[in-house]
Amino acid sequence: MSRQPPTRVELLQGTLDVLILRTLLRRPAHGHAIAKHIQRTSEDLLQVETGSLYPALHRLEAKGWIAASWELSDKGKRARYYRLTPRGRKQLATEQSKWQAFSRAIGLILNPMDEEAR
Amino acid sequence: MISFFRKLGWLTERRRKEDELREELQFHLDEEAEQRQAEGLAKDQARWAACRDLGNVLLIQESTRAVWTWTFFEQLVQDLRYALRAMIHNRAFTALAALSLALGIGANTAIYSFLDALLLRSLPVSDPASLVVLNWRAKVWRGDSVVEAMSGSIYDDSRMGSVSGIFPYPAFELLQNSDTVFSEVFAYCRTQEVRTMNVTIKGQADLAHGELVSGDYFRGLAVRPAAGRLIIPDYDRTGAAAVAVVSHAFSEKHFGGAGSAVGQTILINNLPFTVVGVTPPEFFGVDPAAAPDVYLPMHTNILLGAANQFGFRANDYLDQNYYWVEIMARLRPGVSLAQAQAALAPRFQQWVATTATNDRQRANLPALTLKEGATGLDTLRRQFSKPLYVLMALVGLILAIACSNVANLLLARAASRKHEIALRLSVGAGRLRIFRQLLTESVLLALLGGVGGVLFAIWGIRFLTLLLAGGPQRVTLNAELNWHVLGVTAALSLITGVLFGLAPALQSTHLDLASALKETRAGQPRARHMSWRVNLSKILVVGQIAISLLILVAASLFVRTLSNLRSIELGFNRENVLLFQLNARQAGHRDPEIAEFYGNLRERFAAIPGVRGASLARSTLIGGEHGLPISVPGAPPNDANRFLAVGPGFLTTMQIPILAGRDIEERDHSGSQPVAVINERFAKINFGGANPLGRHLILWKPGKDKYPARDMEIVGVASNARYGGMKQEIPPVVYIAYDQGFPQPNEMVFALRTTGDPLAFVSSVREIVRQADARMPVSEVRTQKAEIEDAIHQEITLADLSSVLAMLALTIAGVGLYGTMSYTVARRTGEIGIRMALGAEPRAVVWMVLREVLVLAAAGLTISVPAALGASKFVESFLFGMKPNDPLALTLAVAILLGAALLAGYVPARKASRIDPMTALRHE
Repeated sequence: MSRQPPTRVELLQGTLDVLILRTLLRRPAHGHAIAKHIQRTSEDLLQVETGSLYPALHRLEAKGWIAASWELSDKGKRARYYRLTPRGRKQLATEQSKWQAFSRAIGLILNPMDEEAR
Repeated sequence: MISFFRKLGWLTERRRKEDELREELQFHLDEEAEQRQAEGLAKDQARWAACRDLGNVLLIQESTRAVWTWTFFEQLVQDLRYALRAMIHNRAFTALAALSLALGIGANTAIYSFLDALLLRSLPVSDPASLVVLNWRAKVWRGDSVVEAMSGSIYDDSRMGSVSGIFPYPAFELLQNSDTVFSEVFAYCRTQEVRTMNVTIKGQADLAHGELVSGDYFRGLAVRPAAGRLIIPDYDRTGAAAVAVVSHAFSEKHFGGAGSAVGQTILINNLPFTVVGVTPPEFFGVDPAAAPDVYLPMHTNILLGAANQFGFRANDYLDQNYYWVEIMARLRPGVSLAQAQAALAPRFQQWVATTATNDRQRANLPALTLKEGATGLDTLRRQFSKPLYVLMALVGLILAIACSNVANLLLARAASRKHEIALRLSVGAGRLRIFRQLLTESVLLALLGGVGGVLFAIWGIRFLTLLLAGGPQRVTLNAELNWHVLGVTAALSLITGVLFGLAPALQSTHLDLASALKETRAGQPRARHMSWRVNLSKILVVGQIAISLLILVAASLFVRTLSNLRSIELGFNRENVLLFQLNARQAGHRDPEIAEFYGNLRERFAAIPGVRGASLARSTLIGGEHGLPISVPGAPPNDANRFLAVGPGFLTTMQIPILAGRDIEERDHSGSQPVAVINERFAKINFGGANPLGRHLILWKPGKDKYPARDMEIVGVASNARYGGMKQEIPPVVYIAYDQGFPQPNEMVFALRTTGDPLAFVSSVREIVRQADARMPVSEVRTQKAEIEDAIHQEITLADLSSVLAMLALTIAGVGLYGTMSYTVARRTGEIGIRMALGAEPRAVVWMVLREVLVLAAAGLTISVPAALGASKFVESFLFGMKPNDPLALTLAVAILLGAALLAGYVPARKASRIDPMTALRHE
């Protein structure tokens, strides 16, 4: 069963989790706000598919990295707010350093010209 | 781990979680719509765009839910619920399928439980794996060999000639010094002194089975007493105080508990013994065939043997050519069986060579072999393993029939559910999901069959225990459903479930949807799959017929064997004879009074009103197997000759016709001229056509100091009667008077010819014996007829069981055939309707269907007749009076099978012939 074609940049497998964790590091947020924040911060390059956002949120909750509670939103509506747990914070740290190493490695391979030019 | 518990918690509040998720997603939609509206879209359009952006809400819910719990279990619960509903909906189908499976699995479990108990279960002692049993093998032992005298069993061995576990005591002493490979070496035996003992406890005499054990027996087996102490080496030497250890069951029966048995004094064969300890409840010795009641130190056999002319003597312990003691040992840690064998075989070889006295003995010396001893001695195995393997093969075949039957039923059901499945596939159900669901149904069915099978097996084990243990030895079989057996059953039912669920499930999910959906319910069954299904189901039916024939052939071979055995000419009249055994010697009677005592008893039995004749003999005719050297003067003794010591009027009582001369009579007692009556065969072999009356026979005392013990005059010739078994040829037999010198009377079997039911006289007999000597129990009470049934017990069991199994196979195969033919007829309703509309006679329609049945049966027979001819050779040793390829048995089996097939086919055929052409055509 194929889905709609990807818009803009497709998220790499497993990246959504770390993006969610990073987003929640700022402050607790509900699902819609998380999606919007990712979109906005990535200068609209990354479009979070809602189809995978909610399963991902619940998966992270099941792992105990984030916790959820019902609170009133800015507009006074009941919304499910997620916040980072201490375990989630630790997880984010490891993921982050992994990602930095990874992207540096990819960068080195993809842009070898820089080094040769120098 | 944490996530596991969280999931577990969520499982309980999923309704709330569902609501929350719905609310969460709704909030998302609202938020998105609001935002879009703020960006300038109209309200409707904004909402629409938000929905599009979110995508398939159901799908999101589905995949989110998958995070909460385990999809696998969720779907499994769904599948199970659905399967149960479908089963309840099709009660007849479910019952039929589960029942045939239950019968198949149950029969297998029951037989397997026995195999497990007999062949696989270890002794209940610590570290049974390190135990080894010592045996020897030799080419032949009969005739001249170092085994000059023996007490115990020597078995025929297909590879080596003879195999046995009995050794001379000096060999045991030699092997006890094998510290390098064994940590313990211990011995035990069941010589005649202890096999059946008269045990008197608090004045109450009873019979008990004893076992003689060496001083280190219990230490070697690492058995701890339930009370008191067990036999130690100090007890096992000449002159030690006479002590006994009793089994737990015996202590409860006679002393009311293990604790109160210790310290009691009991009389064994009229000698005082002190009970020093009780064995634990689960301990039954080293032979699963016989659980001893009393364990005695080995050297007490000198005490016990003193009363008996053939009894044990102290110097038998020194005799290097008297084989009687059995040996077990424990391997040292790290030593393998092969290493121990390699270390000990040469030592035994060297020793046994010194015991040979001539070149013939030296040419055929026994060779030591070690066997694994974890499961104890193999007495039971020798007796039961072959018939059990035959039965196991038969029930295995039954399971195959049952499984193909269920597969057939599932196929038929799959065909009728094609429409439903096509519909489900077309609305988007995954093939794997449907496959899984169908598989769940068949596994559930198999489990249902498995549960039914366990119930059936519990009943079957009881039935089999009765059937198998009723034999002449009256062994106790400890077969029970244990976890091991249950595991095998569960695996069996699961495997069958998957196996027979697979084919229909695969087929169902590979449908051509369009044509399947277009098909009407009553169906033009012209699709390719249809014919494939019909062919597969016919192949299954042909297979069932073929397998059924195999079972039927086995059954008819066994039944014919039994009827051959039952129609054997006995040579005596089995009707209205009561048999029972008395042992006056064990009760304390001695020569010469003992003969007189027996004689008085005989007279009193004969005087019971309704008793037409009473006599006694050393053993029963069927049980007797006594060989002492007997010869015509001047000729060497012939080993084939048999004798039976009998009382006055024995031949008359047993109604063995006397052809010449007279029976043994009361005037033939000690002091008068010893006499003998010979059977026809003896006369023919030894005297040819000459008149044997008045000629003499010599009975020799056996052993090293061989001398003539009796010089007897032949006073009569009796016609041939069975002796020593049912199947053997009648040997040359000499009937001698029981009280005319060597051999002196020991235990005696009395035979009473009665009017009416012999068992009605048992109480009178017991009363007379009690008055004569209360210390003497009456044992082995049975009718002559029952003794004969016991002698052919294995054949009766096999015939009965295989008949039951054959019926079972026929029933299951018949159901399969019936189902297939019914389906065929239903499928051809339209066609048959047209035929009938065009004027076909109902009889022609019946024939048309039956012809198809016959074709199927013929196909099955073509496969199985050659198979049956080949396979029947495996049961040759169970047959009597016929060859394995007995044409009558084969014809019988084929006839029964064809009859059953036609019967199963007739019902659908008749139904076909009653089809109303109008309805059938409208049906289309």
